[in-house]
Amino acid sequence: MNFFTRWVVDFAYFLNTSEAYQHKKRFVYDILENDKYQYKRYFDIFMITLIFLSVAILIAEVKSEMNIYLKILNVYIISFIFFIEYLLRFWISSSVSEIIINKSEHATALGREFYLYRALINAMKTKLIFVFSFKAIIDLLAILPFFHELRLLRLFVLFRVFKLFRYTKSFQTFTSVLSTKKFEFFILLMFSSIVIFVSSVLIYVMEAHNPKSPINTLFDAVYWSVVTIATVGYGDIVPVTMEGRTVAIFVIIAGVSLLAFTTSIVVSAFTEKLDEIREIKTIDNIRKLKHFYLICGYQNVAQEVVKKLKDSKISIIVLDEDIHRIENAKKDGLIAVNYDPGDIESYKKLGIDINVQVKSILCLRESDIENVYTTLTVRSISKDVNIISLLMDDANRNKLKFAGANEILYPKGIVGMISKELIGRPVAFEVIHALRNDYYGVDVEEILVDDRMSQNILYVSELNNSKFRVILLGIYKKDTKRFFFNPLESTLLESGDYLLAIGNSAFMREFEKHLHKKIRK
Amino acid sequence: MKNRAALIFGYNDYALEIAKNVTYEYENVYLYSLNSEQDILRNRSCFEVKSFDLSDKWDDLNENIDIENSIAFCVLEDSAENIFLTISLRSSFVNLNIIALSNNKQTANKLQMAGANKVIPLVQTTAEMISEMLQKPIVKDVFHKILFESGALKIAQVKVNESNCYIGNSVSDIDWSKRYGIVVLAIVNEDMSSEFIYSSKVKHHIVSKDDMYIVVGYETDIKEFEKMTGSTCD
Repeated sequence: MNFFTRWVVDFAYFLNTSEAYQHKKRFVYDILENDKYQYKRYFDIFMITLIFLSVAILIAEVKSEMNIYLKILNVYIISFIFFIEYLLRFWISSSVSEIIINKSEHATALGREFYLYRALINAMKTKLIFVFSFKAIIDLLAILPFFHELRLLRLFVLFRVFKLFRYTKSFQTFTSVLSTKKFEFFILLMFSSIVIFVSSVLIYVMEAHNPKSPINTLFDAVYWSVVTIATVGYGDIVPVTMEGRTVAIFVIIAGVSLLAFTTSIVVSAFTEKLDEIREIKTIDNIRKLKHFYLICGYQNVAQEVVKKLKDSKISIIVLDEDIHRIENAKKDGLIAVNYDPGDIESYKKLGIDINVQVKSILCLRESDIENVYTTLTVRSISKDVNIISLLMDDANRNKLKFAGANEILYPKGIVGMISKELIGRPVAFEVIHALRNDYYGVDVEEILVDDRMSQNILYVSELNNSKFRVILLGIYKKDTKRFFFNPLESTLLESGDYLLAIGNSAFMREFEKHLHKKIRK
Repeated sequence: MKNRAALIFGYNDYALEIAKNVTYEYENVYLYSLNSEQDILRNRSCFEVKSFDLSDKWDDLNENIDIENSIAFCVLEDSAENIFLTISLRSSFVNLNIIALSNNKQTANKLQMAGANKVIPLVQTTAEMISEMLQKPIVKDVFHKILFESGALKIAQVKVNESNCYIGNSVSDIDWSKRYGIVVLAIVNEDMSSEFIYSSKVKHHIVSKDDMYIVVGYETDIKEFEKMTGSTCD
């Protein structure tokens, strides 16, 4: 290996291991290509705005003299931004350093000599694949208006509109759906080309010699054929001879059937892909959510939980591998995805950040095996997310705990405990039950003592809860995780504490407002 | 002599959980099974398993059980059978306290119509607990401890007797929490209609004999309060 080759390989290693370089490249990739990256949306919106601005300036320029600044913006600044974007896309399209390293390591492993030029040719090939890709060509054409002196090139501004394909997902979906019917469209294209060719030649032969006929050239004939086959029929060119009109009848019939064929292909493409499109849209919506509860398994308990949580500001997402249960969830107005909650791939496909987006995961299948499996899967992805699971058989409690469930609900045990209360303190039980379920308009609330509140209300005696006919059941101290029942008036309120208050819902709201508004004099 | 007993109809996990939880109150706990032969054989619990069928005339119960002071739990897994059992028991024993388990709202309504004194809606109750865990975890924790766990904080039903010094006073004039260290949640009138302490109706309520107070507090404070009121139901 000569000095230059060694230097290039060393430099490739340097780039590949440089955290700063890789971080920057990753950032550029995220902003340009990664749909999951939260700031990509803003970049896309910025580029779309530039595109529309550019086209608007072009239109305005047609009939009036354009302001010099707008001209500079359109011709130089926007073009320059697109040029930079093109270069960045070229940069991230492949990694030259990685190709060099791979080739070098491959040669070393096989004991062969490493030829730098071969690695560079390989790298060039991958770059050329990018350069000749449809989207990259559009990008390049969109930069051409930079050469403003060539007036014709100004029309290349319109290529900027095609750049919208990059930034709007619906366009991409549309093209991806249509691309599934490539073969049918090819057949259609061949058929229409043959019809246009044959009818153009025929109409030219039949009409061109007639001085009354408007068809004088082959171009007139092709134009007439295309207009007729497309069922547009402007009427500016019409056949005048009997033979020409006979050709027209066949072209019209062919045109109608062609149109029907095209429509059916497009419709069938969308029908076949509809579920997939909906799923993509659903997943996209899920990714945008800041917080949500993830319900794994939509059976009886899950359905009731959803009813209870319907007034909550936090969204609910349902995952279930059973399509019927997913349909039920959708009927209940929920965002539901037909993925197996026990499969790690499901979460990868969803592309969500469990630690940040998911408030709690509820394993509500009526099968301990499924719940243990789901709990284990989720726990393997996130150590911190709160998992609540249903337990059907008490013998499996340890398994669920071991799998990592934070809270376990055993309905049979609940029945036993309720029975005990119902025979011991039935009235007290009913009262608590009514309180917890907001019957009679009476509410139990957890009121968070925030920084501002703790600065303005120092002691329990300053709460003034009795004025609002609200009872302070106690204070939950977050730092010690202890509940202080019926606290003394001298108890200090600290930020992060929770007040457990009971009272009429309307009074409770007033009380909360009072707590937030109160200012210490 | 007739026995005071807890009669649990159905041999399943629910029945066994109920049996475990009611033994402190009822010396005699009987599990009744529709498939008694099979269930008696597999019974590993300390409770006696007896047989019954839905066409029973309940002669055995009539002869041996003090119906008025007993309680029946209907926990058959089949909803239709559970409703039929409830109606059958009610038609035979007007004064029997019947608690039935339901899997859904529709069954709960039917069980109530069939004569159950109290229906435990299993799915709804579980869902309520889950939603409370998510939305009000501290409330859930505190109430769970008060109701179901043997912690220091208790809930009690305290009845006012004629010797009470507060009889004739307005409820809103008395600061129970300062004086006795307890929190009064609700007052149940003589006609058994309960009113929460914070309702406007209670504000003008005058303490009277046979009022029942639902209070939360530490055991010693509740005992003090009970001494003052005269008696306790708990």
